[in-house]
Amino acid sequence: MLAAFANPVFDSQRTFRELLQAMARPAVPRALPVLPPAPESVAPAAMAILLTLCDAATALWLQQPVGNALEHLRFHTGLRVAQTAKEADFALITAPDAMPSLQSFAQGELRYPDRSTSLIVQVQGFRNEAGVCVAGPGIRDQEMLHIEGLPADFWTQRAALAESFPLGIDMFFVAEQHVLALPRTTRLLEH
Amino acid sequence: MTPRYNFAFLDEDTKRMLRRALLKAVAIPGCQIPFGSREMPLPYGWGTGGIQVTAALLGPDDVLKVIDQGADDTTNAVNIRRFFARVAGIATTERTAEATLIQTRHRIPETPLREDQILVFQVPEPEPLRTLEARETETRTLHALADYGLMHVKLYEDIARYGRIATSYDYPVLVDGRYLTSPSPIPKFDNPKLDHSPALMLFGAGREKRIYAIPPYTRVESVAFEDHPFDVQQWDERCALCGSGESYLDEVVVDDRGTRMFVCSDTDFCSQRTEAQA
Amino acid sequence: MYVAVKGGEQAIARSLELLAEARRGDPAVPELELTQIREQLRLGVARVMQEGSLYDEELAALAIRQAAGDMLEAIFLLRAYRTTLPRFGYTLPLETDGMRVRRRVSGTFKDIPGGQVLGPTADYTQRLLDFDTTPPTATTSAEAPLPAEMPRVLDLLEAEALIEPADADSDPEPLDLTREPLTFPADRATRLQNLARGDEGYLLGLAYSTQRGYAESHPFAGEIRMGEVDVCICPEELGFSIEIGSITVTECQMINQFHGGNGVPPQFTRGYGLSMGEGERKAMSMALVDRALRCDELGETAHAPAQDQEFVLSHSDNVEASGFVQHLKLPHYVDFQAELSLLRTLAKQQAADSGEQPLHAAGGLHA
Repeated sequence: MLAAFANPVFDSQRTFRELLQAMARPAVPRALPVLPPAPESVAPAAMAILLTLCDAATALWLQQPVGNALEHLRFHTGLRVAQTAKEADFALITAPDAMPSLQSFAQGELRYPDRSTSLIVQVQGFRNEAGVCVAGPGIRDQEMLHIEGLPADFWTQRAALAESFPLGIDMFFVAEQHVLALPRTTRLLEH
Repeated sequence: MTPRYNFAFLDEDTKRMLRRALLKAVAIPGCQIPFGSREMPLPYGWGTGGIQVTAALLGPDDVLKVIDQGADDTTNAVNIRRFFARVAGIATTERTAEATLIQTRHRIPETPLREDQILVFQVPEPEPLRTLEARETETRTLHALADYGLMHVKLYEDIARYGRIATSYDYPVLVDGRYLTSPSPIPKFDNPKLDHSPALMLFGAGREKRIYAIPPYTRVESVAFEDHPFDVQQWDERCALCGSGESYLDEVVVDDRGTRMFVCSDTDFCSQRTEAQA
Repeated sequence: MYVAVKGGEQAIARSLELLAEARRGDPAVPELELTQIREQLRLGVARVMQEGSLYDEELAALAIRQAAGDMLEAIFLLRAYRTTLPRFGYTLPLETDGMRVRRRVSGTFKDIPGGQVLGPTADYTQRLLDFDTTPPTATTSAEAPLPAEMPRVLDLLEAEALIEPADADSDPEPLDLTREPLTFPADRATRLQNLARGDEGYLLGLAYSTQRGYAESHPFAGEIRMGEVDVCICPEELGFSIEIGSITVTECQMINQFHGGNGVPPQFTRGYGLSMGEGERKAMSMALVDRALRCDELGETAHAPAQDQEFVLSHSDNVEASGFVQHLKLPHYVDFQAELSLLRTLAKQQAADSGEQPLHAAGGLHA
């Protein structure tokens, strides 16, 4: 069995602060301070997020429950496994090109829009040039954003989802040591 | 630091629960997110929501500032600062510019905040519609439908009765054009500081068990009418200590004949100016 | 020359010293021992445990001493400590059928199987102040021990289908109100949990209101029992339940009239109350309020405060209520200044409209 955070209290605190800033300042990559050991299919950055946010009160849906990923996560966090994407508090997407449609995750309820799935998507990389142009809360003017390896219709799906705000899903994308967030409020601009 | 308790008092499960709620709050600006508020060793109504949010954020590298009514030295601010120094052993400051984390009750500092700072508000009543509709079941539905007619009627009645909007603090705002939100009982003087703030702003209501957020660079409008635009408090006086004519002033009764003087409510802002003049 | 008020930290330190001195009282008088509080103020200990949501007589006694006898402050102290404790597991539901009964009365039948057992009750004291010290009293042993099993009065009615059936197995897993926020509408398990933690005085007043026409309440005390019950847990790794101790509880089952409705024939209905330790007033009040809150489920028109779950449950917690009422003593200078400035503006405006001079007081004098 692999280890988790070497210093659980402070490593998760530092990771959380980056996640919070990432969510507060969408589309801008931030470096995660600690990369814990992770089983084969799980990126260390995704592992850092799961260790920071998951416990027995959360249900995780794994796109590819391969190898010992599940046992490892269960052992270190006590999280529950969601049988379907809709029941998940968090979903880990390890093969984004084959990810299910965004509609298959919980979008929340109008009275409680927070009851939605948060996605953690492992991608090849992202950069703030070319790609789509986004704006919204947390973005001073606008940002260009290119995320590698997403399904062709990802941005169309994402735009369709924005119609039902405040329902929606919030996403973290991870690549190497970096994380980038795309909350439901981030709007796609015409370009 | 008190070794019998976890760092920053809360256990790690509780911090994770708070952190999940905070992320949702930031993702849905102005929306009140229910959370499993814990019983804190300070009374409800005295900042338990702000304290829980601060405890979920706090790390050993943080520098914490706590203000109440704009002042670092009011008893409740002192008590909360003492609490965190005791249970987290972190550095504290009275200088706005030196703080990474500022917990506040009823004010936003006069010194402009930066992107690397987080402001945590203590909130007694998170629901801006509560005085107009007592039932949480009803107000939840009104938010779901973005039906804020009640608030417009209230403000309109003010105008009909007094010739102006008669709300002077806890003045409701619309966040990113969607959620009607309580800025907490800050004077409306501070409302413009909420709009497109470089700093992230988090709001904790412990007794009411709700958290909400205003992300940086977010549109925050104070609710008003075209023919009765929003305005802020103004004084004919200046601060008697630092001479500031642009800060929020406290009125002090200085003798038994009712003589008044006015001084800055933000004690750090005032002392920085006084020192610079010396 | 005016200087900004400073010295909050020092003021707090001095205040704490004064508090410690006042709490201790005359140092020539020996300090109360926790065992004295536990043994001689047991009902106070029970209330603090109940509303503090922690069954620990020693800690409750400590809290009462530290709070100088202020029960709400003692409850607050216990709650604030409780919240830091790790959870090792959840107990199985208490089996009050198997209670080792020390008191058991029913207001509905003259005699019941197992008998009426008064036990240690203040009901028939004559409330005359006893000016003498209390020497140890010898109690008289009963000629025969109480029966080990006492059937429940309400089961006798259920056998005749005169009261709504109660099926404990159909209860959903309750949520933990100390870990999750209360949302509305709340199910009965959540309501009972809230009432169990609720302030005794508040529940007593609400319960009283239901008897005075502010709800459809026609209650009978079906059965009140007090005694010891075993507490069991079933650790996942063991797969069977083990007893970890026993606690004293008071249980009240109220019987209420019901005229039928929502497809249910006329029959008696139930109200339930449970309190840790000896807490009869609390358990009875809780049972009356529980019944009143079932109005929706039973198709009764809700017109009274005690039937309004959002009202009742939102205001029952004395730690919340005490904090929020008392927070008004914190500084509100900033908001008050905002209101002052508004009132002055309005006064000036009105004076201008009516062509009069503004009132002197509204303008103020400035140094």
